Amino acid sequence: MVVLEYNQLEELIIRIRDISGFDFSGYARPSLLRRAGRYLAKYDMDLGELLDHIEPGGSLVYELIQELTVNYSEMFRDPEYFKKVRTEVFGYLESYPALRFWVAGCASGEEAFSMAIMLKEAGLLSRSLIYATDLSNKVLTSAREGVFTLGNTRTFSESYMQAGGKHSLSDYYHVAYNQAIISPELRKNIVFSLHDLTGDGVFNEFQFISCRNVMIYFTLELRQQVFRLLYDSLSMLGFLCLGKRETLRYSGLEAHFKVIDSTLNIYQKIK
Amino acid sequence: MNSAKDESLSLVLIGGSSGSFVIFEDIIKLLRNPVSFAVIFVLHRGKHSSSVLPDLFKTKTDVHMSEPHHLDPITANSIYFALPDYHLLVGKDHRFYYDHTEPDFFSRPSIDATFISAALSGIPVKAAMLFSGSSQDGAEGLKLLAEKGFPTYVQDPESAEFPRMPEEALLKYRQHNLLGEDKFYKTISDLLS
Repeated sequence: MVVLEYNQLEELIIRIRDISGFDFSGYARPSLLRRAGRYLAKYDMDLGELLDHIEPGGSLVYELIQELTVNYSEMFRDPEYFKKVRTEVFGYLESYPALRFWVAGCASGEEAFSMAIMLKEAGLLSRSLIYATDLSNKVLTSAREGVFTLGNTRTFSESYMQAGGKHSLSDYYHVAYNQAIISPELRKNIVFSLHDLTGDGVFNEFQFISCRNVMIYFTLELRQQVFRLLYDSLSMLGFLCLGKRETLRYSGLEAHFKVIDSTLNIYQKIK
Repeated sequence: MNSAKDESLSLVLIGGSSGSFVIFEDIIKLLRNPVSFAVIFVLHRGKHSSSVLPDLFKTKTDVHMSEPHHLDPITANSIYFALPDYHLLVGKDHRFYYDHTEPDFFSRPSIDATFISAALSGIPVKAAMLFSGSSQDGAEGLKLLAEKGFPTYVQDPESAEFPRMPEEALLKYRQHNLLGEDKFYKTISDLLS
């Protein structure tokens, strides 16, 4: 284990910004410290060595940014959340002739695939478009391929059933070269694209936004700014879903949302 | 928002896994309102654990207990419990931060994550303790706390239901104080007074 101190982290943040333009100053320091420490441990180096290695024009800095920002996702993560969306939210969405969903911070796409499966089973997929965005091109490439390791399918299947899945998860993927590949039919309603929540703006209006376990990585100030972006991207009466233990607390927008589920953190924009 | 920062804040950190639940309960019984510090408990819990520890322990103490939210201020005279499936980090702005990076030694929450963040936060640690468990988690964090000059304690592996966790902590750093079976709660009670 390598332990970085706060002042060393600031040095790293400045160095990354000088070389790549990517600015971590709005990222929550306690988490970033942990991630940076784990990065150094993984590659068996100390901060001095890392600073020496990240040079203008080199690719290492981009790999570092990728590792410091990547999120891990899984299919039907928190099954009770998906179940709730199915029972409490879909009924409302049925009244729209066309639906736009945004999975913000989609990582390798599992959340978007899960949403597509649920929409398919609710008979809503054909009139839905899911925008799934992330700031990392690398994870988006993997998401577009729709591939995940076979070893995960058992856990994912259990979660799918717990979420109230109507069929078998294996109906939605095929196996090739020891990998599971999500069926093209589900993927055709998903648009994966590059978007940085901390720098890019509103790009469409949505009836549903899920941004789960992403905002915990931002400072209080940046988090408020990102909440504002999500709020501005939601249509009136649209839904905002956060991670299981995340809340609207300290967002400055608490009064603009109605709580649909206070433990699963599903909110509806009301003004 | 930063007015939450109380310069006199100090922390008591308590970590454990298998075999620690009963010890946690007995430690909580020792705490009586008001206490001059914040106590943070990290117990390994399954991802889908739905038990709410403040509810389970509510008859044991009159000190306020909570499973803190992301960004909640850390205040004295409070008992906090790490939630399942998130690491609970201590920020130098005296707030809690959730973290959802990989588990340490298959555990999320991990004891190391909380202990290391506390050691780096600049907030004084009055005592850090590590009890029974069957993983290596906590050893790195407790070592760092000791190296920063904070008082650290491990349950004597001889009397721990699952000795691995205290053993690993002692392997990493031999000078931790031992909490032996004899006067176990008396010693802890003195630390918490």
